[in-house]
Amino acid sequence: MPLDVDAIRSDFPILSRKVSGGKDLVYLDNAATTQKPQSVIDAMTSYYEQSNANVHRAVHTLAAEATEMYENARNTLADWFGTTRDNLIFTSGTTEAINLVAWGWARSNLKSGDAVIITEMEHHADIVPWQLLAEEKGIEIRVIPINTEKDILDMDIFEASLPGAKLVCVVHTSNVLGVANPIPEIINMAKDAGSKVLIDAAQAAPHHRLNFSNLGADFVAISGHKMCGPTGIGCLLATSECIEQMEPFMSGGDMIETVTMEKSTFASGPQKFEAGTPKIAEAIGFAAAAEYLSKLDMDEVHHHIRGLAKLTAEKIKSVQGITVYGDHSVDEGSGVVSFLHDSIHAEDLARFMDAGGFAMRTGHHCAQPLLDAYGVSSTNRVSFYLYNTEDEANAFVDHLRYVVEKFGG
Amino acid sequence: MSWPEALKSAIDEFSDVFDPMERYEMLFEWASEVNELPVEEWSEANRIHGCQSDAHVECHLENGLFYMRGGADAQIVQGLMAITCLAVNGREPSEVIDIEPSFVDEMGIKASLTPSRSNGFLNMFKRVQEEAKLLMERE
Repeated sequence: MPLDVDAIRSDFPILSRKVSGGKDLVYLDNAATTQKPQSVIDAMTSYYEQSNANVHRAVHTLAAEATEMYENARNTLADWFGTTRDNLIFTSGTTEAINLVAWGWARSNLKSGDAVIITEMEHHADIVPWQLLAEEKGIEIRVIPINTEKDILDMDIFEASLPGAKLVCVVHTSNVLGVANPIPEIINMAKDAGSKVLIDAAQAAPHHRLNFSNLGADFVAISGHKMCGPTGIGCLLATSECIEQMEPFMSGGDMIETVTMEKSTFASGPQKFEAGTPKIAEAIGFAAAAEYLSKLDMDEVHHHIRGLAKLTAEKIKSVQGITVYGDHSVDEGSGVVSFLHDSIHAEDLARFMDAGGFAMRTGHHCAQPLLDAYGVSSTNRVSFYLYNTEDEANAFVDHLRYVVEKFGG
Repeated sequence: MSWPEALKSAIDEFSDVFDPMERYEMLFEWASEVNELPVEEWSEANRIHGCQSDAHVECHLENGLFYMRGGADAQIVQGLMAITCLAVNGREPSEVIDIEPSFVDEMGIKASLTPSRSNGFLNMFKRVQEEAKLLMERE
């Protein structure tokens, strides 16, 4: 059954606000962060109004309630992502999740000369930690280039790079191109070569109900705020084997078993990697977001979002001077459409669009190597989500045409 | 701060317009009014960091008075530079150091003043004031 987008929109209070001198907000920056439904806002408000306390330690009523809510959030999310609570480590988002793999797993399990594979399509969050680790440990970084004619990774080079690789780090869906990589194939090839696999699912998790158990990856990094949850929360899904092999890279409260002045022992499981007072309200909000999405048919969600991206890409291709990046002819992929005009600077274009009420992104999208491969330093990017409508996509195209006609001469 | 006549009239011109689109259109047009720093003179040394566009300023004294030239690949940024020229050019460097960039606010383009990694206006204005300070010290 198609999505009832009108009903969905009524769940998101921010969508009714006006911007830029009274214009309707058309929010098209969802790859950066999505808006939050009332149920997520209510879940967090309710926690703060009724149950706010620190978790795990105290015995008083509020602490018990807060602990239950926090750990129930872990249960809900583990269920949503097709895994168990023992395999879900809360992080601040995808970036921290990837850093946790780099500093928690790779630092203690890789040695000088071991190879880590990354791709040209990665977000900086999946590049920089490996560069820092390479400096510290002397690991080798092998980079899989993108074929810019086809907007896909060069799988021949990937295959040739696999021998000796200990970890393959790959983005599920590009935040710049909206292109989805052949993840099952990549995981199978990496596994056959004896390598662990880390999937950056920041852009994929909002579209699909990922099933960690079925996926076969060793690590999956996810951000809550890109799938209707609050900012500051995400998770790393990791196999039990990898969690056993990991060492904490942050330490302090909540992650210990015992501490003496001479030595400390650590908690087991996810808690070992969640030092300090956790992000309690955020975890509760993240779980509320998963509950919200669980009421929808995620195949329809994906179909709707991708449909808007395909429609928009097709229409703006015919606007004079516009180049669209990424292959939008295929059903796989996200709601992202990146483009550039040949004479209107991306920043100017974004301001003109904002003046029309359209919130879009401009810049390198924290993926400078990818943009370098395409020979550009920035793009304009719109990204759709489940509450966007075809009318909004068409209004965006109309305003873009107006701007190009007026300033693109 | 009393603004020069040319800047006052620019502020008035912008203040009469309430539609953000029209204001940006005006800034776009103002880009051609800048005391232009030609692209050939753009260098790493005069580049403004923290700006999404490629933006450059050059500052100097003429008969002890401060003057800036600017250029950017984004027209709206260059338009803001043109307005800034009205605010600072022909003043004592000591005056330039004390100027608040509130004239942009008065023009109703507050969004242009929003601090963000991608917004170069404040970085540009700060750079101009730093240059004024250096030039004053060298004098």
